[in-house]
Amino acid sequence: MTRPTEAQRTQWKEEGYLVLEDAIVGDELCRLQAAFDRCAAEAKSGWLERVEAGVQSAMFFDIPNPLEKDEVFVDLVDHPSWYGFLMDFSGDDLIFLAPQVRTVPPSPVSYVGWHPDVPHTTPLHMKVQIYLNDVGPGEGGFAYVPGSHRKGTGPFPAVRRIDSMPGHKVFTGRAGTAILFNSYGMHTAVDNRTPVPRKSIILIYEKWSRERYNSQRFTAIAPLCATRARRKLFGLEV
Amino acid sequence: MPHPDAHSLRIDAHVHVFARASAEFPRETSDWLPPDREEPVEKLLKEMEAHRIDRAVLVQIGGTSLEHHAYLLHCLKTYPRRFLGIGLIPPDIPSAADHMDRLTDGTGVIGFRLSSLGGPRDPLDRIDIRTFRTYPIWKRAAERDCVLWLYPRAGEAHLVPFLLEAFPQVRVVFNHLFICPGKGKFSIDAKGRPRVDTPVPPMTRYATMRLNQYENVTGHLSGHYAFSKEPWPYRDLAGWHSQLLRAFGANRLMWATDFPWIAEDPGYGPLTRLLDELLPDLTDRERADIMGSTAQRFLRFPSQS
Repeated sequence: MTRPTEAQRTQWKEEGYLVLEDAIVGDELCRLQAAFDRCAAEAKSGWLERVEAGVQSAMFFDIPNPLEKDEVFVDLVDHPSWYGFLMDFSGDDLIFLAPQVRTVPPSPVSYVGWHPDVPHTTPLHMKVQIYLNDVGPGEGGFAYVPGSHRKGTGPFPAVRRIDSMPGHKVFTGRAGTAILFNSYGMHTAVDNRTPVPRKSIILIYEKWSRERYNSQRFTAIAPLCATRARRKLFGLEV
Repeated sequence: MPHPDAHSLRIDAHVHVFARASAEFPRETSDWLPPDREEPVEKLLKEMEAHRIDRAVLVQIGGTSLEHHAYLLHCLKTYPRRFLGIGLIPPDIPSAADHMDRLTDGTGVIGFRLSSLGGPRDPLDRIDIRTFRTYPIWKRAAERDCVLWLYPRAGEAHLVPFLLEAFPQVRVVFNHLFICPGKGKFSIDAKGRPRVDTPVPPMTRYATMRLNQYENVTGHLSGHYAFSKEPWPYRDLAGWHSQLLRAFGANRLMWATDFPWIAEDPGYGPLTRLLDELLPDLTDRERADIMGSTAQRFLRFPSQS
């Protein structure tokens, strides 16, 4: 298990994020991209029907129940490129909450404004966003306000244009780049003014708590959780 | 200090009136617009006067052809200081620009309502607005300074930002709480008025809330009876009102009743108190904006004098 360096620990503590370039590469990345595209193609018609019916958004497309569709998505949850980091930041007491295997269509406006995911009253909440295609400037990349995760920062202005947020940073990167961030912090996705949809996977974790423990959440993949560590991570046992 | 509301016009920014179907006032008929039904402008005026509403926007109903607009044009001509009008455009018309020109030529019609944009339904398709069926309408609206009154369906909500990006000069009013109804979710309720089965907040908010960055976009606080799962005062919609206020601000929101569908339930009078019920913490200035100042400024209603 790869643990963060002291410099990485300091950056996480001070700025609330870490970028891991080439976190997934080579055959593993190709396999992940292929599984993403195959599952997205299978789910697309259902998504379009739900968009027409007004019960799902057209502005992002999440593959439903991805962990049940391909083991490659399950293996991301405790992937060696970032699992050790998350364990370190959570005091080796981690629970996985949900995946979002997401395609974001091009649009001159982002689907979401600046926001934190949870208040500080929630146990440490962390996300890993993995780019599945190259994301350059103006291509719908993830954006974060460094340091905004710290208690007592803010209030932050309710800007109408995403690029008006003071102090923000937009994360470009090659396919296979992973961005770890503390979701107390202000974040969003920037506008994507290219014709290319942005594909990424967002994994949601928290420091383990009784409130978040739910032994039924991932029962469908229980056969893939042979180790004690994995069963705890997926909430299959305490 | 004078109460801001005391000097501001109070404007009902979206209502319908119609006459019985006749040779003078031809219109389409349906189960919910039967030929003998009428909701005359005088009935609306009586309600407005009883509740100190100064002006209103009459929105065409009962057909899209020029002839179908006869009653709307009659009302605008008869009461030129009280009303502005919004017309409709036939979906398959060869020259939308000509239709728009004829209806806005000194008539009091200031714009047109669109419920379809005619673009690709698949959000992952390449978007070229020049291929949209309504592109000529947007282009003419830009040239003629017409207002577009939008009530798009959920399957087209994602197309709106592309049009706004291309036409920043076109004034746009989103109808009915920025809700974009889903396919198959329309019905007629027991009182003979539109009913829309939709989650609130709507899923289309991901396409509409961030339109607040475009200064040419405003929206209505209206249509509550059609979306709420509760009787008046529709408290299940209070949270969505607060979100719209935070996103757009009072100077981009307009109160409207959607008369006549509310004439019996809950009645015109209660709806004039809607903001007290759903946005009780507004300042006097914000209240005056939503109750009329936004519509007066954005739609360019003549001033009181």
